[in-house]
Amino acid sequence: MTHVLVPLAILEGESISAGLTTLLEPMDVTVLGYHVLPEQTPPDQARLQYEEQATDALTDLVAEFEAAGGRADHRLVFTHDREQTIDRIASETGADAYAITGVTGPIERLLVTVTGTVAVERICAFVAELVDERGIDITLFLATDDGTGGRESLESAATLLSEHGIDVETELAVDEPPVEGLIDAAAGHDAVVMGERAPSLRSFLFGEEAERVAAESVGPVLVVRNPEEPDDASR
Amino acid sequence: MGDTSSTGGTNIEGESPQVEPTVETDEATITDDAELERTLGLSGGLAIGIGTMIGAGIFVFPGLAAGEAGPAAAASFAVGALVALLVALPTSELATAMPKSGGGYYYISRGLGTLAGTVVGLSLWFGLVFATAFYLVGFGYYAVDTLAELGVAVGDGLVIPLALLFGAGFTVLNVTGTENAAKLQNGIVALLLSILVVFLGYGGLDAVGLVGESTAPEQFAPFGTLPILTTAALVFTSYLGFAQVATVAGEMKDPGRNLPLAMVGSVVIVGVLYVVTVFVATSAFGSEQLSEFGETAMVEVGRHYLGAAGAFAIVFGGLLATMSSANASVLSTSRAIYAVSKDALLPRRASHINLRYGTPHVALGMAGGPILLLVATGRVELLAEVASFLHLVMYGLICVALLAVRRDEPEWYDPDFRVPGYPAVPILGALASFALIGFMQRTSQFIGIGIMIVTAGWHAYYARDVTLKGVL
Repeated sequence: MTHVLVPLAILEGESISAGLTTLLEPMDVTVLGYHVLPEQTPPDQARLQYEEQATDALTDLVAEFEAAGGRADHRLVFTHDREQTIDRIASETGADAYAITGVTGPIERLLVTVTGTVAVERICAFVAELVDERGIDITLFLATDDGTGGRESLESAATLLSEHGIDVETELAVDEPPVEGLIDAAAGHDAVVMGERAPSLRSFLFGEEAERVAAESVGPVLVVRNPEEPDDASR
Repeated sequence: MGDTSSTGGTNIEGESPQVEPTVETDEATITDDAELERTLGLSGGLAIGIGTMIGAGIFVFPGLAAGEAGPAAAASFAVGALVALLVALPTSELATAMPKSGGGYYYISRGLGTLAGTVVGLSLWFGLVFATAFYLVGFGYYAVDTLAELGVAVGDGLVIPLALLFGAGFTVLNVTGTENAAKLQNGIVALLLSILVVFLGYGGLDAVGLVGESTAPEQFAPFGTLPILTTAALVFTSYLGFAQVATVAGEMKDPGRNLPLAMVGSVVIVGVLYVVTVFVATSAFGSEQLSEFGETAMVEVGRHYLGAAGAFAIVFGGLLATMSSANASVLSTSRAIYAVSKDALLPRRASHINLRYGTPHVALGMAGGPILLLVATGRVELLAEVASFLHLVMYGLICVALLAVRRDEPEWYDPDFRVPGYPAVPILGALASFALIGFMQRTSQFIGIGIMIVTAGWHAYYARDVTLKGVL
């Protein structure tokens, strides 16, 4: 069963839009409520005061998923380091993807980018399971320097999805900055699916790619994780 | 929070200790409904230990200590390091068995019961307040010297006002949130260590006569052996940082490995630096002349070896170091208050945090207020000794708590690190801690005992019915 992690700054009133709840219905969902504390506050001190409040909010969110016909559970973490917490919970739950919540209504059209390091098959398999014969249309997007090669891999990915009865369009961006191209293409789509990227200097300076796309396209972003390397898990 | 156990009794306001079953893993502490992420690595732990310790001793004490013990002041620092090490080992064992926030207070209240816990917990609060005040006064001296090096001679009259200003500044900064304080702290510690290593490398070569001109040899212990021990009692304040590592035990990754390494490692690193520094300082000038330079004698030592640049490097280092010590101690104070109020020994509202900044503003105020009062007295040696007194009581009792817990090992006790040389090490640690108290000035001893009596009285009045022994 495919598993999606939905991290939320639970005490800052972050919530999940109805469109995303419905979209994730075929998946196993873990809602990760986290609260980031400044270094001078022990996490336990915050837990003592806010655990009940946060747990109530999380229980309500899980109930919403169940009302939409999905399966969900929740975890609550008090931390100094948001990234570390999301990484840890993602490995522990064996999540295949995580979601950046955004604002959206019912989801009719998804933008799926196959640019990046996560294998195209992995992303397509995830999308096929997500769409699950619900008549959601897909635009496949690829940014590349190699026009012919890019066209070919887009076509083969489109064939993969069409086999599941999904209506696919393709969009190729040649010699464009990938993130900017993706953000432009996201207009007219209700949500974005993309692959996880290894951290780079660029992502360090400008924030993670997925976060930028989420911020600029306003809608939700689903990030398909790289399968875990054995070395990674022992770190 | 209605499902928490009420077996711990209640205080006068009807609050009982918040004790919940937890599972400790290397990456998180897991309670019933929530998880607490462990985010500090070994380098973060070492930075807390070294950052708290390095400021006071190395920059404020050499002049004072040399005046009392002569060149043997180096031996006083070595004695202090040895005592700190004897305590750091048992503390490490207890910390790996109970990797939770609260540090020494936590182990003593669980090992020896509520009365000892209350006295130590509240004394630790006051001990840290005294220590922070001491660091801030040291900071004042260095700030005045910095101005002097920059050509603005303001005189010692500004020492206390500057210290007060910065004390208030730290408190406000900590309440409104210091997003990158830990990273800044790591940077400061790294910078300090490099300044000291360059300086000590050069000064050390000079001191043993390899470069520069040789100085007249001086008798090692001109005042005999007793001053070595009394000076060790005075300068022990320099080593108060290692146990602060235990107060963040709940936030440290892989605590079974990182806690002992951070505690023992920071004592060893700092101890070596101190001994070498004092040796170099007393070699540069006679101890008599050194003591005349007072709190900022190190600046003159820097000038002696490396000219104006050396003086400026030391003045700058001293400013950073006293700042880093003071900041780390303000934070530890608020953690001490939190640990005690969680166990219903202080009103629960003392540990409230505000959602806007996410900081414990009440506890930070309870640290900052008294600190400013004490800074205003400006009594460097007294502040340092009272701080040492209150910490030494805690260190001694930590060793006793280890002996008590080990004697009839309860089921929950499963440390990842066990003290080598048990029971000799904890027994020696306890004896050495209590003995060091005996070498202090009468005034410091009276103030220390007075504070302990007041805290015992508070226990009798406020939390007589609370029981904590053996409760995890």
